[in-house]
Amino acid sequence: MKLTRGAALVIGLVVAVYGTLLLYPLLRVFEDSFREFIPGRVGADANSPLTLTNYTDLLHEAYLSYLWDTFRIGFIVAFLGVLLAFPIAHFVARRRSDWLRRATIGLLITLMFLSVLVRVYAIELSFGPTGFARDIAPLFGEQIGSRFYIEFMIVLGLLHYSVPMSVLVLVGTIQNVNPRLIEAAQALGAARWKSHLVVTLPLSGRGLLSAFLLSFTLSISAFVVPMILGRGKISFVSNLIYNRFSELANFPSGSAVAVVMLVISLLAIYAVSLLASSRWEGAVR
Amino acid sequence: MTVLELSTVSKRYGEELAVDNVSFQVEEGRIVSLLGPSGCGKTTTLRLIAGFEVPDGGDIRIRGECVSTKRPYERNVGLVFQDFALFPHMSVEANIAFGLRERGVPASKFPERIRSVLDLVKMRGYEKRSPQQLSGGQQQRVALARALVTQPSLLLLDEPLSSLDAKLREALRVELRQILTSAGTTTIIVTHDQSEAMSLADHIIVMSKGRIMQRGSAEEIYSAPANKFVADFVGQSNWFTGRLDGGRFVTEDGLSIAVAAKAPGGAVELGIRPERIAVRTKGAIAAVGVNALEGVIEKTEYLGSTIHHWVRLANGRRIHAVVQNNGQCFARDGESVQAEIRPEDCLVLAPEA
Repeated sequence: MKLTRGAALVIGLVVAVYGTLLLYPLLRVFEDSFREFIPGRVGADANSPLTLTNYTDLLHEAYLSYLWDTFRIGFIVAFLGVLLAFPIAHFVARRRSDWLRRATIGLLITLMFLSVLVRVYAIELSFGPTGFARDIAPLFGEQIGSRFYIEFMIVLGLLHYSVPMSVLVLVGTIQNVNPRLIEAAQALGAARWKSHLVVTLPLSGRGLLSAFLLSFTLSISAFVVPMILGRGKISFVSNLIYNRFSELANFPSGSAVAVVMLVISLLAIYAVSLLASSRWEGAVR
Repeated sequence: MTVLELSTVSKRYGEELAVDNVSFQVEEGRIVSLLGPSGCGKTTTLRLIAGFEVPDGGDIRIRGECVSTKRPYERNVGLVFQDFALFPHMSVEANIAFGLRERGVPASKFPERIRSVLDLVKMRGYEKRSPQQLSGGQQQRVALARALVTQPSLLLLDEPLSSLDAKLREALRVELRQILTSAGTTTIIVTHDQSEAMSLADHIIVMSKGRIMQRGSAEEIYSAPANKFVADFVGQSNWFTGRLDGGRFVTEDGLSIAVAAKAPGGAVELGIRPERIAVRTKGAIAAVGVNALEGVIEKTEYLGSTIHHWVRLANGRRIHAVVQNNGQCFARDGESVQAEIRPEDCLVLAPEA
């Protein structure tokens, strides 16, 4: 294929912009992760020898627990988010009255624009040590400061993103499911809930997957929510990276954590979508 | 035995009365068609029978049992949608097995039931296909099989042929009739297409504005329409307004036609079907008692099997006549002719309120 001069110019420009602004910084992180850390120095010396120490250090179980917490909570949030969003999305998609649909969607979009700090402190106020939950939590055998309770607060904080986003993704999907199919299932003897289980749910497969992956990626890269609500008892990998870079000034180690996080995230998302697409192949035209 | 009985059923959507005091019965094994234009309430009636709507008044009984407030899955009614609504994520076999499973048929009986219903609709060998791999006609047959496999008390078909290709429609109509007859299930067909209703059903119920206009066989409805709406919806007619006067219909502009109606005198409407008008050369000798109206051919449409003429009568009125193309010469534009009408072909109806 022959490129015209104009096209070559445009492509060159785009490559240059993306290269310097996005790709180069990432490569720098990648490079730094292989350099030796010199205590007291901010950032690795460009001439320091290449090493794998930054990676082998991460095999320590203290680091693995960060990864475990991040992905475990991310998975829980994404799962709960999609679960809670599905009925709301169904309500919005199947409503006859237009204003109710608009009001619900408007509310959800507003919710997404709300600053993360506002949400986090709102949760802290209601569910933290000064909130109403202080007296309720013990009824379930939990203390406000317990690890489980803190994890619950983080999940709650992340659901604030996960639910509205999943709803917006799922509304379109559910609207595309022919309502006649649900009626057909009912005419064949399936109760209402069952008709949704065997028709709406499998035909929304792709949408459910997108909603899940969006929630999952947003959750595992969360920073403010685990930092404030986690009270230092639960930290995500993002908090670890921040800690390495800004508090210890150990750029090589921070870079290594960042690279590991990136690779695992990509693998996890690839695995989930591979699994799901084989399951739902043919389900959606 | 009466399978379905609707008595004074009404359904209202807001201010609009979609179904207005409708009553009818369907006997075992009959094929009945609800015929009418869109918005006449036929689809709402179907949805009431299926259980997707609850009537505001009246009573729906299936085999004597009142089902007015029962859910669709609590009624034993088979339903075939206009777009067939086959489950796209299931094979043909799984689509058909769905109803068997939901109706609690033991799984050991599935293969035999599926085989026999696929034999009925002539779709053996397609078990593993997905609905997307089937043509429209094949999808319809699978939808029929899916509805029939549970042996419903009543089969409902919503516009069964309208989503198919115009050319296919006629062939599939014959096939559908065969399947319905050999299935022997009591069936209700909702349609806006008169030829669909006439060829598929042994009994037709014509609806308009939520009410039943007329019921009867195709022949009764066509040859003796109860009112102008039915006469116009089922076939075409030339209409004249005038009065009956001693066995003759007369209009103010001087038309006088002998009619066979026993209706009392007074203001009436006269309808004449285009194909009941014979167009012959002027001066031909008409049979005894047959009306012969003189006129000139104003326009002719040659449509192959039929030829349409528009004849300007002596009093200035124009009438539409359709003659069979039997290969003999036919009248041309500008020719003087006489339109011959037998008194028994005149539809004499009370004027519209």
